[in-house]
Amino acid sequence: MSQPIRFHWTIWLGAAAALVVLLLPVVIVVMAGLTAGEYLTFPPQGLSLRWVIAFLRSPTFFPAYLFSLELAAVTMAISTVMGTMAAVYVTRTRFKGAPTMRGLFMSPIVLPGLVLGLALYVFYVTTNIGLARTFGGLLIGHVLVTSPFVLATVSASLVGFDLSLEEAARSLGAGPFQAFRLVTLRIIAPAVSAGAIFAFIISFGQFDLSLYLGTPNLTNLPYAMYISLRYKFEPTAAAAGIFAIALVVASMVLSSRLVNLGKLVANTRLRW
Amino acid sequence: MGGELDMAIASAVSQSTPRSRLSALRLGRSRLWLLVVPMAIFFLAFFLFPVLSLLADAFDKPLPGRVAPHGDFVLTNFRRFFSLAQYYNSALLTIEISVVSSISAAILGYPLAYMIAKIERPAWNTVLMILVLASMQLDGVIRLYGMMVLLGDNGLINGTLIRWHYLDKPLPLMYNVFGVIVGTVQITLPFMVLSLIGVIRSIHPSFEEAARSLGATRWRAFRDVTLPLTMPGLLAGMLLVFALSSSSYVVAALMGGWKVWVLPIHIFERISNSGQWQFGAALSTILFLINLSAVFVYQFVSSRLTGGRT
Repeated sequence: MSQPIRFHWTIWLGAAAALVVLLLPVVIVVMAGLTAGEYLTFPPQGLSLRWVIAFLRSPTFFPAYLFSLELAAVTMAISTVMGTMAAVYVTRTRFKGAPTMRGLFMSPIVLPGLVLGLALYVFYVTTNIGLARTFGGLLIGHVLVTSPFVLATVSASLVGFDLSLEEAARSLGAGPFQAFRLVTLRIIAPAVSAGAIFAFIISFGQFDLSLYLGTPNLTNLPYAMYISLRYKFEPTAAAAGIFAIALVVASMVLSSRLVNLGKLVANTRLRW
Repeated sequence: MGGELDMAIASAVSQSTPRSRLSALRLGRSRLWLLVVPMAIFFLAFFLFPVLSLLADAFDKPLPGRVAPHGDFVLTNFRRFFSLAQYYNSALLTIEISVVSSISAAILGYPLAYMIAKIERPAWNTVLMILVLASMQLDGVIRLYGMMVLLGDNGLINGTLIRWHYLDKPLPLMYNVFGVIVGTVQITLPFMVLSLIGVIRSIHPSFEEAARSLGATRWRAFRDVTLPLTMPGLLAGMLLVFALSSSSYVVAALMGGWKVWVLPIHIFERISNSGQWQFGAALSTILFLINLSAVFVYQFVSSRLTGGRT
């Protein structure tokens, strides 16, 4: 029982193939962004930072990168607060409709982003509430697609939560909000942070909503890359990609320290 | 520090009387609903209402250039969809690509998920998990860039083979259905792996050991014991891949090079180029119905496989 498991060679081969499929495109982007040539060839023509510098000076990609960061930060703040509050309600209430409500909150994950963007655009234009082609309009879409991830992450950590801890704080004279802040929030803080990181990264890489909600002055990095990829493979876009890859890897390493990733994945599996 | 806090609170709990505990609970619960108000209002106003009115739009008379729903209940848009071959064939193509992608992702993802689930070194486990999660979270357009550089007509594969005189003209690796499937599998593979890991991990190793000790080969033990037990995760992953692949605009646009007319491309094209909002809404509804019927197929198959057990 305690002897280490030995995998059959077919498992090794299959796992290696899957890792190649997952990682090869990422490696190619990094190499294309660091190439010394005009475009990436095999074997590579050597390393240089010329495309990284071109990205930092680019009038399209660099502002798009900054815009993505800004949008993701605001999205993260709203989704985290709203999603955490809803997670506390959904896991603690005895209200019979709570599972339906949870289903509604989770459904932006299954609705195609293109359809959601279209629905929001039609809604903004017809109601004429001044959200069409604005930052606020795009932000609402981003909050819709990221808050399910906060809800799932935080409620996973609340499911096994021992309520008597909060009761104890109450019986010692703390108010309901104080008890929550001093006891529960401290215990679920890692899950809240992980949910916030997920929200940030998903908003940062969100493309589909921009098709209808984006405008030339509301262009995020994925949309800017899509526009340029339609015509040519600019190494400048790959250099922008390197910065996005670094951001994702850093956030994953950080969240792996905050929560047990395996446990999180097991708990957030979508219920159909 | 957290531990001390826990202990102090735990000792206080053991001293509190049942009565005070109950009243504390009630006080906390009475205003609990306030917590869900922001998200509920947000989702009613900006999710449920817009999505339902888009659905209503699909039943309106087509008026090019007009966005607002006008509330006449007609089936003109759906009749148009079923009478024009380019549209219903596009729905069939969308289903075909999604089915092939979900089967390919299942075959490709299973061994990796099996390895991550069974590996015992925590460090390796974390590294592999980070690789899978990071590739899931990385923006799809960036990964598509990498794939386009690899598979394009002047890309790494074709360019190198032509320069080394193995080929005269480029292999058709992209700007066709094959390219779209490769792109979709790459984008959706992490979702497949993640939905398999949990279910593989939940199977006790003694099941497979028992089969082996009764004389089964490794392959038979896997085929007759592990594989049937992991079917729920496999099916859930395939459903997820199907839904993601049928609704992706960007993969079909970039890897298909506007030559693979799946539904999301038609939706975008009808609305952006011709202003046919009502027909676009109808196509969106059909796309949503395709995903919904995939859920029903999934539930039917999984209840047949588990024989009513869940």
